[in-house]
Amino acid sequence: MPMQPHTIASYDTDLKELDALVSEMADDAVSALEDAAKALATGDVALAQTVIAADAEMDRLQHSIEGKAVSTIATRQPVAIDLRQIISTIRIANDLERIGDLAKNVAKRVIAMGEQPTSIKVASSLAPLAARVGEQLQNVTVAYRNRDDAMALEVWRSDGAIDTLHTSLFRELLTYMMEDPRSIGVCAHLLFCAKNLERVGDHATNIAETTHYMIMGDMLSSDRPKADGSSGVDPNWGPNNT
Amino acid sequence: MAATADRTLYARRRRRNGVMMAFAYAATLFGVGWLVLILGVLLWEGFNGVSLQVFTEMTPPPGGAGGLLNPIMGSLILTTLGVAIGTPIGIFAGTYMAEYGRYEHLTSVVRFINDILLSAPSIVIGLFIYEVMVAPMGHFSGLAGAVALAVIVIPVVVRTTEDMLLLVPNALREAAAALGLPRAYIVRRIAYRAARAGIITGVLLAIARISGETAPLLFTALNNQFWSTDLGAPMASLPAVIFQFALSPYADWQRLAWTGALIITVTVLALSIIARALTASRKAS
Amino acid sequence: MNIAAANASVRSSSSTSVPVPAHAAVDTKNLREKVSIRNLDFFYGASKALKDITLPLYENKATAFIGPSGCGKSTLLRILNRMYDLYPNQRATGEVSFDGDDVLSPKQDLNLLRSRIGMVFQKPTPFPMSIYENIAFGVRLYEKLSRSELSSRVESALRRAALWDEVKDKLSANGLSLSGGQQQRLCIARTVAVKPEVILFDEPCSALDPISTAKIEELIDELKRDYTIVIVTHNMQQAARVSDFTAFMYLGSLVEFGPTQVIFTSPKDQRTQDYITGRFG
Repeated sequence: MPMQPHTIASYDTDLKELDALVSEMADDAVSALEDAAKALATGDVALAQTVIAADAEMDRLQHSIEGKAVSTIATRQPVAIDLRQIISTIRIANDLERIGDLAKNVAKRVIAMGEQPTSIKVASSLAPLAARVGEQLQNVTVAYRNRDDAMALEVWRSDGAIDTLHTSLFRELLTYMMEDPRSIGVCAHLLFCAKNLERVGDHATNIAETTHYMIMGDMLSSDRPKADGSSGVDPNWGPNNT
Repeated sequence: MAATADRTLYARRRRRNGVMMAFAYAATLFGVGWLVLILGVLLWEGFNGVSLQVFTEMTPPPGGAGGLLNPIMGSLILTTLGVAIGTPIGIFAGTYMAEYGRYEHLTSVVRFINDILLSAPSIVIGLFIYEVMVAPMGHFSGLAGAVALAVIVIPVVVRTTEDMLLLVPNALREAAAALGLPRAYIVRRIAYRAARAGIITGVLLAIARISGETAPLLFTALNNQFWSTDLGAPMASLPAVIFQFALSPYADWQRLAWTGALIITVTVLALSIIARALTASRKAS
Repeated sequence: MNIAAANASVRSSSSTSVPVPAHAAVDTKNLREKVSIRNLDFFYGASKALKDITLPLYENKATAFIGPSGCGKSTLLRILNRMYDLYPNQRATGEVSFDGDDVLSPKQDLNLLRSRIGMVFQKPTPFPMSIYENIAFGVRLYEKLSRSELSSRVESALRRAALWDEVKDKLSANGLSLSGGQQQRLCIARTVAVKPEVILFDEPCSALDPISTAKIEELIDELKRDYTIVIVTHNMQQAARVSDFTAFMYLGSLVEFGPTQVIFTSPKDQRTQDYITGRFG
C-alpha cells in the first residue's frame, strides 16, 4: 500500500507483526484444508492424524493475534485504516480458527470412515468441492496479503458456486444411499464432510468481506449471493425454473 | 564530572570564575560603600538639627533661630500641584499609546519624544517655563514652579503607564472583548485594574523624583523667606532653601540645610519603600 | 448545503490515492446551519492565510477543527467572532453568515456579535476581580438585572460550568486564586452567563491536567444541547471524543469535512488519514 510510515516506527512494527501472525495462520489453514482434502480422497489415516494435531497451533495463533490486537488498541489508540486493520485481524483470526476446526472435523471423519469399505470411490466425489473451497481460501489469503480489493470481491461473489456444488453433492450422496444401503454409514460421514467444506467456503467469504472492510471502510451488504438448496428451500428449484 | 572532562580546563575556568566573583564583590562594596557613606554623613550632620522647631518655625535670618516650615509647606504645595497637573496628562497619554494607538505611527513618535524629555536636564525645563510663564507674567510664581515640576512628572508617568499597560497580557483583553465588552470598558475596568499597582508605583516614583528637583524651581518659583501660599508669588521650597543655606557662611543656616537634606532624603526613601512594597504585594497575589 | 458540497469544493484540488469508498450520504437534512462559511479568504498583511474555505456549522452540534500547526484552524475560529479586528493589517473576504447576519460586514456591531458568539481561550484568563464579579461583569453590561436575579444568573452559570460546588463558599475570592482547571471552568461560566448562541473553544484543555480536561469535555457534551460549539484542538482523540463533525485543515485550506465517526474510521482524503493515524511529516 502506498502509505507513509508512522512517525512512531514501533507502531508500524506492531502492525507488521500482527499482519505476519495472520498470514502465518492463513497459510496454516490453507495447508490444513489441503491435507484434510487429500486424506479424504486417499483415505490416508496418518495424514488425517497430522491435521488433527496441527489444530492446536491454530488455536495458539488465534490467541496470540487477539492478545496483540487488544494491546495495540490500548497503547496506540488507532483510528481509520489502522483501526480497521486491527479489528479485521481479530475477525479473520476467528474465521481461520473455525476453518481449522472444520478441517480437523473432516480429518476425524476420515479416520472414522477408514474402517469401512467403498469409502474411497464415493469419497472422491467430494474432490471438486474440496478443490473449489481450497481455491477460495487460497485466493482470499492472497487478497488479504496484497490488500487486493478486487480479488476479495471476486471471492465474495463466488460463494454461490460453492453452494451450488454442495447442493448437487447432497443429492448425489442421497442417490448413493438409496442405491446401496450398505453405504449409508460412509455417506452419512461424507454428508457431514461436505457440509464442513461448505462451511469453510462461508468462512472464506467472511474473510473476504472483512478484507474488503479493512481496505475500503464499508461493509458489504449481508445479502451475499446464496444458492444453498440443501436446507430445503432451493431458490433454483420450482416449476418456474428449468 | 564526566570521566572525559579535561581537568586543567575545568580548573582554569574555576580560577577565572573566582577572580570575576571577587571583582563583582569589590565593585558592589565600592558602590554600596559610597551610598552608606552619604547616608551616614547626612544622618550625622542632619540629625543633630532635627527638632520640633524645624517643623514649626519659619526660615530665620542669619544668626537667628528658626525652622523650615515655609519651605516644607512650599515643597508640599509645589509637589502636590505638579503631580496633580502632570499625572492625569501622563496617564491619559500612556493609555492612548498602549490601548488605542498601539499600532499607530504617532505612538512611536510620541514614545521617542517622551524618552528624550525623560532625560532632559531639568534646568532646561526650568528655563523654558521661565520664558513661557515667568517672563510674560512679569514675576516668579509658585504656579510656574508647579508647572515646571509637572513637565518633569509627565514623561515619567507616561513611560510607566505605557509599560505597565503593555505588561497586561493581551489574552485578558481578548477574553474581555470576546464577551462583547466595548473598548473603553476593557481599558477602564480590566486593563487599569490589572496595571493598577504598576501605575501607582510610577506616580510614586515621579513624586520622589521631583521632591529633590532644585534647578527648575530656581527659575520659576525662586524662593521666599516668609510664609506664602500664594501661587502667584514666589514660593519657598526645600531644595531652594538648601541651596541658599548650604552656600552661606552661617553655621546655623548650614545646619538647617543639612536637616532639610535629611528630610528630603527620608521622604524619597519612604516613597521608594512604599512603591517597592506595592510591587511585591502585587507579585504575591 | 450538505457535506457533499463542502467536499466537492475541496476534491478538485485534493490528491486521493485511497480508493473512495461508497458511503451512503450522511443525513444532514434535519440539521440547521447556524453559521455558514462560504469562500472565505483571510490575509495577514499581504500573505493569504486561509484559502477559499466553505463549511457549515450545524446548530446544537459540536464541530472540531483539526490539523497540524500553522494550518489556519485558530485563524478560522477567530474570524467567527471578528477577533482579528483588534489587530491591524488583518482582513477577511468572503461570506460568513450567522443566522442570516453577515458577520464580516463593516456595519456589524462587534460587541453585540461577540455577546452572541462567545469564546474560551487556551490560557485561562480570569479577570482581576472576585469570582462573582468575573461572571456578573459581562451580564451587567447587557442586561438590567436585580441583585437577586444577578445572583441566580451567576449561580446557574457556575452550575453549568460544574464549578458551583467548588466555589459557592468563596464567591468573593479573587478569580486568580483558583487552580488552572477551575480557572478555565470559570472562564466557561463567564462566557455562558451572557447567554450566547455559539461558543468557540480555542484549544481549551491544552494547559490542563487530564482530570480537568475530562471535566471540560463532559461540560462540552452537556453544553452541546443548548449551544452550537466549535472547538479547535490539536489533540485528535479529544476531537474524536467531543465533536459531531470534524474539519481537517492543512496549509490554510479545508481538506476534508464530515461526521466525526466517518472521518476517524474511513476518511476520504489520504492527507486526512495520514494526519489522524500519525503518519504526517
